[in-house]
Amino acid sequence: MRLLFLQKEELEPFVSRLIAWQEVVGPKAKKNRFVFDKLESPAELRLDYDTTILPPKKYFFQPQQDLIRFSPEGFTGCIEPKPRIIFGVHPYDIKAISMLDYLFSDGKKDWNYLANRQAATIVGINVHQVFKTAFFESMGASIVTKGYDLFLTDIGEEGFVVEVATDKGEALLAYGHFTQVTPDQAQKRRKILYGQSDRCSQKLFNLPEEVSEKVALSFYHPIWEEMASRCFSCGACNLVCPTCYCFDVQDMWNLDQESGIRFRTWDGCLTEDFAKVTVQGGTENFRQDRSSRYRHRIMRKAVYLNSKLGGPACVGCGRCASACPADLANPVPVLNKIMEG
Amino acid sequence: MKIPKVAFFDFTSCEGCQVEIANFDQDLLKLLQVVEVVEFREIMKETCSEPLDIAFIEGSFSREKDRERLQKIRQRANLVVAYGSCAATGGINALKNHKPDYKYKVEVYGADATMPHLETQKALPISAAIPVDLAIPGCPVNRQEFVRLVSDLLHGKAPTIPNYPVCMECKKKENICRYELQDTCLGVVARAGCGALCPSNGIPCEACRGFVDNPNLDSLVELLIKTGMQPAYAMAKARMFTANLVEE
Amino acid sequence: MNHPYSYADDREEKLITTEGAEREEENIFLPKPARVLQAQPMGRTEKYFRLAFSDGSSMGHQPGQIVEASLFGYGEIPLGIASSPTREGYFDLLIRKAGRVSTALWNLEIGDTMYIRGPLGKGFPVDEFKGHDVLIVAGGIGLCPTRSMIEYIEDRREEFGHFTLFFGARTPKDQLFPNDLARWREEIDWIEYHETVDQGSPEWKGNVGVITTLFAKTSISKGCRVIICGPPIMYKFVIKELKKLGIPDAHIYVDLERRMKCGVGKCGHCQINGLYVCTDGPVFNYARIKNLEEAF
Repeated sequence: MRLLFLQKEELEPFVSRLIAWQEVVGPKAKKNRFVFDKLESPAELRLDYDTTILPPKKYFFQPQQDLIRFSPEGFTGCIEPKPRIIFGVHPYDIKAISMLDYLFSDGKKDWNYLANRQAATIVGINVHQVFKTAFFESMGASIVTKGYDLFLTDIGEEGFVVEVATDKGEALLAYGHFTQVTPDQAQKRRKILYGQSDRCSQKLFNLPEEVSEKVALSFYHPIWEEMASRCFSCGACNLVCPTCYCFDVQDMWNLDQESGIRFRTWDGCLTEDFAKVTVQGGTENFRQDRSSRYRHRIMRKAVYLNSKLGGPACVGCGRCASACPADLANPVPVLNKIMEG
Repeated sequence: MKIPKVAFFDFTSCEGCQVEIANFDQDLLKLLQVVEVVEFREIMKETCSEPLDIAFIEGSFSREKDRERLQKIRQRANLVVAYGSCAATGGINALKNHKPDYKYKVEVYGADATMPHLETQKALPISAAIPVDLAIPGCPVNRQEFVRLVSDLLHGKAPTIPNYPVCMECKKKENICRYELQDTCLGVVARAGCGALCPSNGIPCEACRGFVDNPNLDSLVELLIKTGMQPAYAMAKARMFTANLVEE
Repeated sequence: MNHPYSYADDREEKLITTEGAEREEENIFLPKPARVLQAQPMGRTEKYFRLAFSDGSSMGHQPGQIVEASLFGYGEIPLGIASSPTREGYFDLLIRKAGRVSTALWNLEIGDTMYIRGPLGKGFPVDEFKGHDVLIVAGGIGLCPTRSMIEYIEDRREEFGHFTLFFGARTPKDQLFPNDLARWREEIDWIEYHETVDQGSPEWKGNVGVITTLFAKTSISKGCRVIICGPPIMYKFVIKELKKLGIPDAHIYVDLERRMKCGVGKCGHCQINGLYVCTDGPVFNYARIKNLEEAF
């Protein structure tokens, strides 16, 4: 492992030079929350953030992404990646990105996502403040060992220990003043990354494998109905999730009424029409009840995607819990309750 | 595609939807290359009596004597589009439907309150008087959506209005949820399509586009009460734009 | 170490590097233009299309596979391929006018262009049927995807045992592929064809009743391999009959329909529990999915 050191006062010049070179996005304050957004100056960068409203997936799999442009003359694809540095990604989000990388590569490769992903350089950062509803420790997502190009560990007043993980990460080094890491600094890094536990207030009482096994057998558990009775089917939990990747595809004409676009846009399995089809003489909804949709989301995270990902499709970021207006999307109490029963 | 003749008509409304369409800037000029506008009170003085491809109707049907005018429009128009919430559902006008003693007329109009044109019945959607081919909600209508839906109509593609809540569009814009800011918001049950305009500009959604097909109103009232609202006020809030849909 | 499990460790090689130029070809959403060779209204709301890719390429599908068919501006819908890969130089689709896209596609005429992505998904595992008797139970528009298998059996008749086809429609007017039906009624040497309608008409001389009433018209061997495709309600009733005959679940294949957007296992709409109809199906072995709560 290649480790270097960046002094605290060297962070701003480093980020400034990166901004001058390429688009740099990072966590910025938005009232009482944080969002990943384009950095105009290094002062905007808030590496002490807890979590962002939307995960960084929005840069690879945009809320609305053009797929095809058409006109009377013909049609072309819209794979137009833009190089971009995503600065300050937490381990749980890095893990989620690795999952999406796999899911978009599985079977037919989705270059509309993958091209954006490849064009990005990811600079990780350890979690400074834990988000109020986060439970990444329970999901084994407090530490990542890959999925980033550089990883910064804030060891306090001194500065950051920087792990250089890839060639893309290596390429950033020219823009900052890095020094050799001392054994003491490396030791501090290890302590911060691996020595901290019990930081999340939300906890699963069982290992994810145990949870998966039991939840798989809980299709008819009363909890789905119970939780879903207050559900608005608003899809907020889906859209803020770093591992949700469902989408709708739509066509639209431009003002000239001849040319237009085919685009995809984020969709959520909680919304009423998600599994509804038009059939002769009406419609058929394969997940008509709120509870069946509520269950589907938890099942998909805890059970269904395990065979592809080797574990649950959840990293414990806690975004869904905080985004739910009815306060029922948090999977932790639901899963714990299923495990109890 | 043959250039379709279109006309805009208004009934009980503030004409804000017409203004919204007229404010299209450069895009209006582009649109005028694909449609021929033959009547539109906010932007031109000409009127016409010829057959129309599309009649756009704003405002609610709230006077029985308007029925005849609506029927005449229907007769000469191939397609009738009720646009804006007043036309689509009765909109905010329908609040009066729940006031048996409509005394506000005097407060608002003073001495003119007895003028004959102010004599109204229940505020109803245009579809209560004539069949409509498409009802576009919104107070005012969303221009982009309006154009997209009309574009679909012109191409013979059945237009779709979202059946998911404003939360979906709000999240895509990465807004902070109004509830996280100790505010209230009807976005959780309100039909999307506006691009979450209000929450994106720092004010709560009032559900001007009406509700999704199956709104969880019990949960909404519970949520509103949790934020400190009185139950009666919470109910009134939920009914602001949906008076024809929500019972007492 | 706080690693209760590891994710995707051995899977990383899947993320290969591909440079820009190749990516365009690999845009999984780009369709290929296909020319309409024949267009024939059929039934009340259906229209039959024979098409060929404009670049001369062949579909190269398995019976039972699907395509995404589209018109720009209108959108894309999944459709079962209605012709056998043994019949080269064209492929058949049947479009039922139901929604926005299907209505626009329905309106196409000879010489027009339809945009096609496919073949997609998993079709009928033809090898599993070889050397065995075959029963196909098709209800309504379910005749379309199974027609690819019917033609396949006709063209490679010696590879299969006794072949029985049950077809049920709502009314005689709803019957699809009238030319095929007329032929199947006559050509008894390769196909044993039975048909029914839910509601008869004065002219209808055939069977009236739900599709399961056809089981009384013939005998089905225990070793028979079965394909079922029809409206959602039909499956469990047909399967009940097959159980009575002692046909094992593993010999039953069902062809399922769900809402589908991408057709390539990403968009999530077609999921049945954890399976994707577009990539794991649309043809499933019944034994594999019978315990999935969302399947039937």
